[in-house]
Amino acid sequence: MMKFLFMMIFMIPLCFMKNMFWLVQMMLFFMMFLFMNLNLNIMCFFNMSYMSYCDIISFGLILLSIWICSLMIMASESLFKLNFYFNFFLFNVIFLLIMLYLTFSVLNLLLFYFFFEASLIPTLLLIIGWGYQPERIQAGMYLLFYTLFGSLPLLMGIIYIFNDLNTMTIYFLKFFNMNMYLLYISMIFAFLVKMPMYFVHLWLPKAHVEAPVSGSMILAGIMLKLGGYGLLRVMIFLQEVNLKLNYIWIIISLVGGLFISMKCFCQVDMKSLIAYSSVAHMSMVIGGIMVMNYWGFIGSYILMISHGLCSSGMFCLANINYERLHSRSLYINSGMMNFMPSMSLWWFLLLSSNMAAPPSLNLLGEISLINSLVSWSNISMILLMMISFFSAGYSLYLYSYIQHGKYFQGLYSFYVWFISWVFIIIFALISFKYDNFKGWFYFYLILNKK
Amino acid sequence: MFFFILTNNNSNKMFFLFILFFSTLISISSNSWFGCWIGLEINLLSFIPLISNSKNLLSVETSLKYFLTQSLASINFLFMILIKFSLLKNFDMNNIISIMMNSSLLMKMGSAPFHFWFPNIVEGLSWMNNFMLMTWQKISPMILLSYYFNKNFLIFMIIMNLIIGSLGGLNQTSLRKLLAFSSINNLGWMIFSIMISENLWLFYFLIYSMMIFMMISLFFLMNMYFMNQLFINNMNFFIKMNLLINFLSLGGLPPFMGFMPKWIIINFLLINKFYFLTFIFMMTSLIIIYYYIRIIYSSFMFNYFKMKWMNLFMKNNMFLINLSSFISISSMILSTFIFM
Repeated sequence: MMKFLFMMIFMIPLCFMKNMFWLVQMMLFFMMFLFMNLNLNIMCFFNMSYMSYCDIISFGLILLSIWICSLMIMASESLFKLNFYFNFFLFNVIFLLIMLYLTFSVLNLLLFYFFFEASLIPTLLLIIGWGYQPERIQAGMYLLFYTLFGSLPLLMGIIYIFNDLNTMTIYFLKFFNMNMYLLYISMIFAFLVKMPMYFVHLWLPKAHVEAPVSGSMILAGIMLKLGGYGLLRVMIFLQEVNLKLNYIWIIISLVGGLFISMKCFCQVDMKSLIAYSSVAHMSMVIGGIMVMNYWGFIGSYILMISHGLCSSGMFCLANINYERLHSRSLYINSGMMNFMPSMSLWWFLLLSSNMAAPPSLNLLGEISLINSLVSWSNISMILLMMISFFSAGYSLYLYSYIQHGKYFQGLYSFYVWFISWVFIIIFALISFKYDNFKGWFYFYLILNKK
Repeated sequence: MFFFILTNNNSNKMFFLFILFFSTLISISSNSWFGCWIGLEINLLSFIPLISNSKNLLSVETSLKYFLTQSLASINFLFMILIKFSLLKNFDMNNIISIMMNSSLLMKMGSAPFHFWFPNIVEGLSWMNNFMLMTWQKISPMILLSYYFNKNFLIFMIIMNLIIGSLGGLNQTSLRKLLAFSSINNLGWMIFSIMISENLWLFYFLIYSMMIFMMISLFFLMNMYFMNQLFINNMNFFIKMNLLINFLSLGGLPPFMGFMPKWIIINFLLINKFYFLTFIFMMTSLIIIYYYIRIIYSSFMFNYFKMKWMNLFMKNNMFLINLSSFISISSMILSTFIFM
């Protein structure tokens, strides 16, 4: 595991040399390939060393973060062409990747907090440094302060746990029971703000819309999943309080997901619509984790991975449209099928994954989550039905408004060009399901056993 | 400070600088309270010539204000020492006397609620004098505070320090006043560390003075006193990054150096079960980070309207600037190598 850390650290001097933009991106692809070939063991922690480990959850999330970082660099090709501080941009991306890699792979809970906070700084730099509109200042402030407001009580909680248990190793936490209400709130609140849950979600539409394409991709792809990962790790030693109080968060996030899905229909900005759909998906993830089922656990993990891929892909497509028409508004971006019919294929594939149509990975996640939530309470059937229905609704709304219809009369001409990397996202979407076939097969076996 | 005095043709002030250092040593290492008082008086007397400059009316007024407030505090301190000696047999008075002695020392330091002179005076001093005021002048009152403090009173003072330091800086545009309010806030952290252990105070104080030194020397070299000056000039990329890193480090954000003292103090706060106080520490530090980020907008945004002709000539100091950025970023990681 240190080998990947050193590979990333030594890519930093490479970012500052001349004409190394594509080399860095290729090396990130290479690192993804190397990381995929680790010996994967589902049932336990593997590759343990003094301070790092790998679990099935960490493995998937680290893989996702390396993948999205390499795609971020590919999508920001215009920075390289226009020579807009791309050296520092590459440094930012690699630094962010190091922080994310370390977040998911350290054994110590305090170090997890340290890198969790540290990953905010390069994100803030990306949003304010390379964003497109002047509103990005306010967006950066919202991002930083919402997240910090949640995570400072998390620091208090972690240090309290250390003083009580004299250990911070994540693996040993499952042997303890710290069932205190205040500790529970302080530990969970940070991750709920990060996820985001409905009432504290306000930073997400701002930050996702104002960020450049790379910032949006990493935010939607991985930064939201940091919250999910934290919840998955931290709930183990709080089980009794969880059983008593989790219904609050499930209800807030499911009803909130319903409201957010309805709000998606009112959006005019493409990126805003995709951002709100992220909140709706994450609301189901929160619901799934909070019910404390095994199906919920697995379903939320699968939905996190698939949503990461799908959402980043959609942000990249929205940026492709933005680069050509210089607008993200649905009024101007209409009738694109007349100009870029191949692009409409990618829009359709990604939006159908977003609405959890077969055979995408989102479908597997949503089915597992629906199972777990309905097993918790039958009434949640109504909410889940509405959320799934509306997610199909707004995905189709986005697709048909962008692709069909007559194009905007004010367009003169633009560059019709097709980037082939989106293909790789789709391949990843499907291949995550079938390639590691053995791994997922074991998943099914275990699911059936339980 | 030495280089500043030597290069600005003010070597007659070197004498007063040495006496300043010795006065602190007298105050700290004395066996009786009288010795402490004498050290404080010599401190005051030797700091006044350092800050007064008879050619500048603002400087004269500033040094007069400093003299008045500090001598009031010293006289109060002397009076309380004398009362303590004469009422030695009556232990019921311990509470009141310790409160009064602590108040006079807090006024010497510029801590709330006796802080009103501090932003005023800081506005009238140059950057290097500010550095002495914010770091060295706090040493002897703090150590004297650690000899005889009243825990409940000090906890109340800490809360006032934190709140005033964070809320007071929200409406300021002058960089000196902003650093003054941040200094008041950090005084809150330092007073708490005194209550735990003097070693811990020393650790926090050293890291705080190192961060303040990096920041003040950057502002001194750029000759900047107000926030709008940050947006006008043509800063080189490394200077911008240094500014960004230093302010975020002072705010206590990971992964920078400034996170470590705050983390250790929160550890001790929670060991001693001060839960609500910890919450106040955290939330006020959020407000402080807000106004730091307002200052460093100029370094976040890569292209903004700047005057092409206002070039900063900082080639000779680039090594130190880069070194200080490197230290701020990597000290957390390097510190793990020290303790192994």
